[in-house]
Amino acid sequence: MNLALLGINHRTAPVEVRELMHIPESRLAQAVSDLTHREGIREGLILSTCNRVEVMTSAEDSVDAEPIIHQFLADHHRFELGPYQRFFYHYQQQEVVRHLFRVASSLDSMILGEPQILGQLKRAYALAHEAGGLNGSLKEIAGQALAVGRRVRRETALGSAAVSVSYAAVELAKKIFGSLEGRTIFVIGAGKMSELAAKHLLSSGASAIYVTNRTYERAVQLAAAFCGTAVAFEQLFEHLPKADIVISSTGAAGYVVNKEDVARILSARRNRPVFFVDIAVPRNIDPLVNELDNTFVYDIDDLGQVVEANKKQREREAVWAEEIVQEEVQRTMRRLASRDLVPTIVALEGRLNAIREGEVERYNTRLGNLTPEQRQAVDALTRGIMNKILHGPITELKNGAGQPEQAALVRLVRKIFGLAN
Amino acid sequence: MPVLLLWVALVLYGLGTLLLIPSVVHRRPSISPASLAALALGLLSHAGAIAIEAARIHRLPVTDVRSALSFYAFLVTLAFFFLYLRYRITSLGLFMPPFVFVLTLISAFRPVRPFDLSAFRGGWLAVHIGSTILGYTGFFLTFVAAAMYLMQEKELKSKSPHAFYYRLPSLELCDELYYRSLLFGLPLLTIGILTGFIWASRTWKGPWEFDPKILASMLTWLIYLVLFSTRVSGGWRGRRAAYVAIFGFVAVMATFLGVSLLSGPHGYVPTLRQGP
Repeated sequence: MNLALLGINHRTAPVEVRELMHIPESRLAQAVSDLTHREGIREGLILSTCNRVEVMTSAEDSVDAEPIIHQFLADHHRFELGPYQRFFYHYQQQEVVRHLFRVASSLDSMILGEPQILGQLKRAYALAHEAGGLNGSLKEIAGQALAVGRRVRRETALGSAAVSVSYAAVELAKKIFGSLEGRTIFVIGAGKMSELAAKHLLSSGASAIYVTNRTYERAVQLAAAFCGTAVAFEQLFEHLPKADIVISSTGAAGYVVNKEDVARILSARRNRPVFFVDIAVPRNIDPLVNELDNTFVYDIDDLGQVVEANKKQREREAVWAEEIVQEEVQRTMRRLASRDLVPTIVALEGRLNAIREGEVERYNTRLGNLTPEQRQAVDALTRGIMNKILHGPITELKNGAGQPEQAALVRLVRKIFGLAN
Repeated sequence: MPVLLLWVALVLYGLGTLLLIPSVVHRRPSISPASLAALALGLLSHAGAIAIEAARIHRLPVTDVRSALSFYAFLVTLAFFFLYLRYRITSLGLFMPPFVFVLTLISAFRPVRPFDLSAFRGGWLAVHIGSTILGYTGFFLTFVAAAMYLMQEKELKSKSPHAFYYRLPSLELCDELYYRSLLFGLPLLTIGILTGFIWASRTWKGPWEFDPKILASMLTWLIYLVLFSTRVSGGWRGRRAAYVAIFGFVAVMATFLGVSLLSGPHGYVPTLRQGP
């Protein structure tokens, strides 16, 4: 097993460079095929998204794949990589596995825990597989990476807390109402922001929407876009008791809704909870409304505060996810490395045994007529010497299993003992 | 044998409680299988203890404080599994198994006292105790739901989410659990109290109406009746209702355990107050 990875991502390279290196999905299969047809390359996998380009290979043991991948990228993009060298990172063996597992778990993503990367890797895997680029250890590792990504999503909450303001509002609504199925939204002030928030809420299951605006035409437009109902601004308080979630973003200078209004609304609602999302500046909902039971008022800063807390929460979860990745890397490396060593160890033993048998045979006549016991003793003696000699290299090989230097070590052992490749 | 099985159940409940701590701390989406397995085995062992005892005395073994507590712990564990499988609320693990452990612990440490089986003749007493304990199981769930509601409500009002925000279920789900368990517990306690009256009027001579446990039960029943009727008539819900539900459960515990020490008949030594 001889793994290599060459890549750039959002941490190492600015967007201009990432754009240059990007390989669109339509050309990915061709690119993988081109890569794997190069001398010494057995398998190839290319992951190319807006935040990263990663090219992975498994190669013949005697091959240094890094320059080959460089050349492949240069050929593919038809320009020299020289000026861009410094943006690339380069991994070998275990580091490749670890990096790929972290990428799949979204631990390497710009937004920690974002869910798209797993799908992108799955797609890259499918394309590389179709192009005939995966058939050995790299296939196994990439498949395992997908499993690790799924495990991290399943066992940690790395991707669960909302990290954008509009999703934070949806998440808060879910913490109050459970499911948003059948909930009613009321939009006061038809602006861009409230439109976006309403859209998220509707796509999370909210069923009915009312829109009001100072200029009635604008309310009608927005209501039509969401198949909702437009309400004249003067009739706001007649309809407000129907709303479970109120999104407010008018340009009004004072409070549009105050504590007394909400107290009346609550009694009309028989105390069923109301969630106010006030994204207007200056604010539309009197903050004192939050003091009422069964009422929750979040302004734009509050939502920002929730997003910050959620980010910290994801970072805490990341520690746990890293542990899972570490455990999976070790398990995968042990499995691959010990399997990888088998041919070398068998060849080494075969080679030494052939020498031993040859020498015993050669001295056969000079040894004269040995009794069966004496012949057994000679066999045991030579076998003993052979095993003592083998002990060092085999132990060294096994200890190095999974280490980055292992490929070089295997090469060295094969070379000095004259083992065929 | 039942005593041994109860101890086995106790150890398994303790183990299950310890094993679910990481699930809650790390906010796993589900309770660890090891913990659930330990609790399930505990439940099985507990069921065995109760079944053997029931076979021996030919009735539901709720004849003294010890066995009543044990039966209560058994029902709460059963409710835990039912709710966990139904709603998948990991944070229930924070409340229910530790409570079960404590109940079982108290039960296991109480001495086995001889009792007068004749009091149980006719079945009224068994229905009285059985349905009261079932009602109390419902009220423990009301308590848990109310506690979770208050914690989550505090998080949402404070606007800076901490650990509980991420771990606890939505207010809506807490409220659903609260109301349903109230609807479950109240009729059962009502039946329990009524059958208790019938049994007492037939068995006891003298003024039994002012027994401390009976008074405490009436108070408990009133608290839950108020919770129920204000919810139905006035939509009374949320924080204040949750506080009352918690107070109600304190009353339940006081009635169940505290007053048992003061009350003659309910200390489960019925001979004391029975006529000649």
